Amino acid sequence: MMVLKILDPASETLFSRLSEKVRLAPNFFRNSAVVLDLECLPETQVCDFGDIKARLRDCNLIAVGVQGGHRLQHEAALRAGLPLVPSGRPTRTDNRPAQAAGQTVPPPSRPTLVVSEVVRSGRQIYAPGGDLVVTAMVSAGAELLADGHIHVYGTLRGRALAGLSGDTTARIFCLSLEAEMVSIAGLYRVNEDFTPEIVRKPVQICLKEGYLCLEPFFPVGR
Amino acid sequence: MRIFNFFRPAQPPKVESSAHHAKERLQIVMAHERASRDGPDFLPLLQQELLAVIAKYVDVDQNKVEVKLDRSNEISTLEVNIELPSRRPEPRRQRAALQGAASTP
Amino acid sequence: MGQIIVMTSGKGGVGKTTSSAAFATGFALRGHKTVVIDFDVGLRNLDLVMGCERRVVFDFINVINGEAKLYQALIKDKRVENLYILPTSQTRDKDALTKEGVEAVMDELRKEFEFIICDSPAGIEKGALMALYFADQAVVVTNPEVSSVRDSDRILGMLAARSRRAELGQPPVIEHLLLTRYDPIRVERGEMLNVNDVLEILAIPLLGVIPESQAVLRASNVGVPVILDDTSNAGMAYADAVARFLGEQLEHRFVKPEKRGLFSRLLGRTA
Repeated sequence: MMVLKILDPASETLFSRLSEKVRLAPNFFRNSAVVLDLECLPETQVCDFGDIKARLRDCNLIAVGVQGGHRLQHEAALRAGLPLVPSGRPTRTDNRPAQAAGQTVPPPSRPTLVVSEVVRSGRQIYAPGGDLVVTAMVSAGAELLADGHIHVYGTLRGRALAGLSGDTTARIFCLSLEAEMVSIAGLYRVNEDFTPEIVRKPVQICLKEGYLCLEPFFPVGR
Repeated sequence: MRIFNFFRPAQPPKVESSAHHAKERLQIVMAHERASRDGPDFLPLLQQELLAVIAKYVDVDQNKVEVKLDRSNEISTLEVNIELPSRRPEPRRQRAALQGAASTP
Repeated sequence: MGQIIVMTSGKGGVGKTTSSAAFATGFALRGHKTVVIDFDVGLRNLDLVMGCERRVVFDFINVINGEAKLYQALIKDKRVENLYILPTSQTRDKDALTKEGVEAVMDELRKEFEFIICDSPAGIEKGALMALYFADQAVVVTNPEVSSVRDSDRILGMLAARSRRAELGQPPVIEHLLLTRYDPIRVERGEMLNVNDVLEILAIPLLGVIPESQAVLRASNVGVPVILDDTSNAGMAYADAVARFLGEQLEHRFVKPEKRGLFSRLLGRTA
């Protein structure tokens, strides 16, 4: 689920910048459900959720709920037909000032999805907002999706798409590469283009200077 | 010995070959299926009506009714076994067998 | 409580019904009370392979619909003690299989039988899903051929996600691989995937390898489960597979080409 973090509901540039973003990838965003994150709003500020809803609709986005924020804001949101949805991740604390002097705040943890059974043909697994770790093989015809990294501790025969929402630092790792297709942040390569020194080998895949780079973990002839 | 078979002239397929057997079985079962394909599934109904008639005269346990069918080339038999309750205090079983025979079309 | 075993494959024509008939007969021969159920509603074939097509009065669907009692629809095998067949309807379609209806029949059968074998239809639609839904164990029937292997992988995914055990979060369905129509000569020539290729891709334990055999066609022609032909390689391979299922440790036979004499090689004839 997409989350829109509202910093300043009165901002004039919010929706113009949003519609610009949507125009870049209209198919990706078309009629997507959006949750409004109110965490950064001051407790007393209540905004016009009906207006926000309508303006999001103009951007081809559909507001479905709110998360974070406070009771008064929740009530206002509910009146506009936006229920409170439980937050899909641990509360982020890094954006706020430290609660107490001298107390260190841990960095945000990205949820990691760990799958320990074989991912069979026809199955699709998505790790939203985090990494995907598969400790078994992935069959041809299966699809792994993650916003973060993808690790396969087995043979990768299906497709793997890391950095799905644009993270260019995401990587894919597998113990044996026999994949149909691999992709990072939208850049992809199909198996026809794999060179012999990586096929059936332990491989890591990352983006280097805008190019998709597939390299064996161990130099040939180790 | 296979080598002797090799010099033997080719034989026409034997009448009792498995393929012949297969054809015969299919002809019988498919003739029945074609005949009843468009008609209603009458057996459940037949059983119900039969039981209703018998139940008018004797107490029948619905769970003690056996229906058997055997189809062959010439004749098909439908056998309905209904166990009748004993009227005596000690449980002794009597069996009434209803047998019907009908030529296949 | 009886064990429910589904014979499944995804792909058609790989030998599910032949294997269902063989396994059911094999269990019964070893003294286990067994019933084999045809789930291919509308395309009834198990009765032909079991040789009881002339004795079908009521069927699985009649029982589900309450039109007949379960024991009235069960056909007792005339050759083997402890063996029963539950044929399906030739006139209805797969929608006749309701989850509640099938469950009621399964519950009743579990009390009576040690093994309940569900002969699945091909495909991944309703009939196949109903056949695998209640399974405790699955025998995945696969040919050493690309489309069959991929379809088996797909059905293994279904077992992991769509079975009742998966839905209730119970221990998963136990999976077995049965490789059928295996031709060791073509494997040796490199024309056919070998056992290890298939095992590597599907990654489930191997229950048995059934060699390609003329005995299988002969058996279905005459309506006798091939396992009763104990002179044939296929019959012996099925007997081995049943024994392994019941926990015996047996080496896999018929995975290498048989050594042939000079004469038969010269003449190029096979039995």
